[in-house]
Amino acid sequence: MLKNKIPKPESKIAMAHMYVAFIALLVGGLMGLLQTFVRSGEFTLPFGIGYYQILTVHGVVLGLVLTTFFIIGFQYALMSKSVGMSKGHRKWAWIGYIVTLAGTIMAATMILLGEANVLYTFYAPLQAHPLYYIGLALFVVGTWIACFINFNQLYQWKKQDPGEKSPLMAFMVVINMLIWFISTLGVASTVLFQFIPWSLGMVDEINVLVSRTLFWYFGHPLVYFWLLPAYMAWYTIIPKIIGGKIFSDGLARLAFLLFLLFSIPVGFHHQLTEPGIDPFWKYIQVILTFMVAIPSLLTAFSMFASFEMAGRAKGHKGLFKWFKGLPWKDVRFLAPFIGMVAFIPGGAGGLINASNQLNGVIHNTIWVTGHFHLTVATTVMLTFFGLSYWLIPHLKGRTLTPKLNKLGLIQTWVWTIGMSIMSGSMHIQGLLGAPRRSAFSTYGGSEQAQEWVGYQIAQAVGGSILFIGIILMVYIFFKLSFGTPKGDQEFPVAEYADVNERTPMVFENWKLWIGIAAVLILFAYTIPFIDIIQNSPPGSPGFQFPIGRG
Amino acid sequence: MSKQSALKQSSAHDVHEVEDIETHEEPNLKGTFAAVMFIGVFIVVSWIGVYALYMYR
Repeated sequence: MLKNKIPKPESKIAMAHMYVAFIALLVGGLMGLLQTFVRSGEFTLPFGIGYYQILTVHGVVLGLVLTTFFIIGFQYALMSKSVGMSKGHRKWAWIGYIVTLAGTIMAATMILLGEANVLYTFYAPLQAHPLYYIGLALFVVGTWIACFINFNQLYQWKKQDPGEKSPLMAFMVVINMLIWFISTLGVASTVLFQFIPWSLGMVDEINVLVSRTLFWYFGHPLVYFWLLPAYMAWYTIIPKIIGGKIFSDGLARLAFLLFLLFSIPVGFHHQLTEPGIDPFWKYIQVILTFMVAIPSLLTAFSMFASFEMAGRAKGHKGLFKWFKGLPWKDVRFLAPFIGMVAFIPGGAGGLINASNQLNGVIHNTIWVTGHFHLTVATTVMLTFFGLSYWLIPHLKGRTLTPKLNKLGLIQTWVWTIGMSIMSGSMHIQGLLGAPRRSAFSTYGGSEQAQEWVGYQIAQAVGGSILFIGIILMVYIFFKLSFGTPKGDQEFPVAEYADVNERTPMVFENWKLWIGIAAVLILFAYTIPFIDIIQNSPPGSPGFQFPIGRG
Repeated sequence: MSKQSALKQSSAHDVHEVEDIETHEEPNLKGTFAAVMFIGVFIVVSWIGVYALYMYR
């Protein structure tokens, strides 16, 4: 029996989340494939299915359901490993899971019935069926239960070991859940106080700018909620897989604290073209957005340092020869590593998006879609895939076989090639002015739209390759869950490079960091929000046609 | 088993065990320095590229 294996009742909770995540991957991925076919201009959806219906399924199922379920399941595993989980925590974890799943099923049913073709951003005045919004609210409430379980897990651990530095994994999970909780207050407010009464007909009009501002107050930190679990793996697990060490505990904690401070008060950089927001406050939030690049740069440094130290310890010399010392044939490393590489253009693209003038070049173009297919669909997803190769067998009491490792390497390259073609063509098309969130059109035979055609076909080719990658990954997931030999798969946990490093205890002062985060949010949002409410144009009635509920 | 004792038992998982290293040599991180400089240059060049497009248009 493997030492420190996650206990079975806790494994079951994590696995319950994984099943939902990988079924979502299959459903959402199929919708993505269909979208790229439609946009190529060579395919029409059968049975009267609308383009915006599949676009909504793709966005919601992959952007919210897959990510959230995988993240919560993975974080439960990290917390079990680092600080433990009590019986009470387990009971609440199941309640949270059921509530989140009920919300998911409710919202998904409405989308599949064509009653919520409002895309994953559900911008007003597009109006969906009330049950869609109620489903979203339930989904968020379910995740809040997971937040408070994670907070309480660390609290209980600290109570038993007062004065001890909290385990790095638990520290990171708590930061991510703090970001999620604080940011979802925004989306919960707009859903509860604006969308639900409006869709039920209790009020006639909705304040569009308030709803969009509350959505983006949530929408950007959401990106970090996706990204930070990948960073958790990079900092605490990957060094072990490569036979190296964690470069610095203090640096890792500092990076996560900076995410807590700077990932939330930045939503206006998604609204740079939005009239009705004072340019001064957009400027302030753009600066804060650039601040949030710093912890990612710290992470890049830390990863390279871990790799270089591991490579040199194995005797590799020269400026870059230590790269040879990395385990390229181990899918547990290769998949997350390619994810890291993808974040170089992904992060650079993010800084372009957040710059006011440059945003004017790419705003509402398919460049943005290409951007987040690099960040979330490559960096985050390849890391999650890489985690699955050891996490799933660990949770199921099975092992990763050499054959499945090889298939995993193939899957990783298939994904990389497919995404390079698809995301690359989306980026170029965007620079040529092709819009996002739109079905195929010749735009009345315009010359500019002709320039996009070749790239749209390339997008469909990339999308098809990616779908092969999805089929492979779903097969690998179920094989890891039910088909590999029984045994003990290691849960890799890295050690620190410097045992004498003293992490400042102020990093554990939660009141201080949550307080600073709150001050920054209030500073960035209070005045512009009052301004938005006081000077808003009249509200809008709901539009259910052409794409809201039809 | 009480909640507290269950938690205590579960939290016995050892995480981030550290090796007892006596020496304190500064690691050679020249490659890391070069790699992060490359990332910096990549960001700046990408940014200037799109800015040039903005100016041109």
